[in-house]
Amino acid sequence: MSNRTPRLQERLTQHGVTRRQFLKFCGVMTATLALPAHYTGRIAKALLANPRPPVIWLEFQDCTGDTESFLRANQPGVDELLLDILSLDYHETIMAPAGDMTEVSLSETMTNFPGQYICVVEGSIPTAAGGIHCMIRGRTALSIAQEVCGNALATIALGTCAWDGGLAAALPNPTGAVGVRSAVPGLSTLISLPGCPANVVNLTATLVHFLTFNDWPATDSSGRPHFAYGEEIHEECERHDHYEEERFVLEWGDYGHRNGWCLFQMGCKGPETHHNCPTVKWNDGTCWPIAAGHGCVGCAESRFWDRMSPFYVPLDDD
Amino acid sequence: MSEPLPDERKVFLPVVQREGSEVAPTPTPPPPSSQRVAIDPITRIEGHLRIEVQIDNGRVVDAWSAGMMFRGIELLLPGRDPRDAWVFTQRICGV
Repeated sequence: MSNRTPRLQERLTQHGVTRRQFLKFCGVMTATLALPAHYTGRIAKALLANPRPPVIWLEFQDCTGDTESFLRANQPGVDELLLDILSLDYHETIMAPAGDMTEVSLSETMTNFPGQYICVVEGSIPTAAGGIHCMIRGRTALSIAQEVCGNALATIALGTCAWDGGLAAALPNPTGAVGVRSAVPGLSTLISLPGCPANVVNLTATLVHFLTFNDWPATDSSGRPHFAYGEEIHEECERHDHYEEERFVLEWGDYGHRNGWCLFQMGCKGPETHHNCPTVKWNDGTCWPIAAGHGCVGCAESRFWDRMSPFYVPLDDD
Repeated sequence: MSEPLPDERKVFLPVVQREGSEVAPTPTPPPPSSQRVAIDPITRIEGHLRIEVQIDNGRVVDAWSAGMMFRGIELLLPGRDPRDAWVFTQRICGV
């Protein structure tokens, strides 16, 4: 692992990211992690130290949505993340080798950094029929996950599919899809970041926490970090006053909809969903579903495809 | 197919490795006889794709493609509220 101090600063400058912007990013990380503001400097110092932990990113029964979320990282952008803060050694969507040569990238990282690489898993793992519904290089996803996650420093299950089986596990779950915690039980460190897709800000914050404190953020009983999944969307929602005053959208495009009223009657599942969308938002912090006028579908909750649907039928009002 | 494909380029591809093989594959010139090689995974795409080619004397004479991952989204949709269909369908691909 390299330790070239000036490189990240140089690259940020080359990409027009000023020190002020970089420190602003560190401030966003501090706030996202629910840390006091004085930790910003410590985070900046840790990132600039360039530890570059190796990362192996596995994709199984996925749609690549969480990778797309990752590719929307900004300031530092994904190129800085890929090349300077992390060493992304294996990722089938962006790596140069193909076919059997990918095995070389995977095995070199696992051999050179045993127990020191971070494994990110995207997508569910099928278990029906011996796991044949997802095969890579002639091996089942289950077999690959057990080997790669089993020898990792830590595994991050990115997205709802990797957490609890997600879309493929919706009834009737024809492929026996499960998340990492069921496919590879007993992992010493498994952080789960559900969301459909997961929010890149939460992935970045999780990695920044590790790089700064050499420890992972505190998680709940299902492995989700408190900083991202500790609050209900409803409690932080900017339309909460409308809910309290019973100003509800009743039809798409009606007066209430055009004036940003509460989407509860349109099926919003915000009151039963834990995620930090109202605070970190999406698309570089510019917007999120409810602000755009569509109710929350509960995409970070367990079995949401079955428990939060029908998506347009309101929750019981209690 | 009885005729070779009209592609004049020679092909140099790694030989298919059996699972559990210890030797890392390296590109070598193909032997004169016919062989079938697999490229799995195809990278820089969404999804899991396996391509196999039949090579005779350095020419591709046949090829196969296989999707290596199945979720069964058509099987998940029946019986649900039709207004939900787009939310499921959207997750076919996240690109």
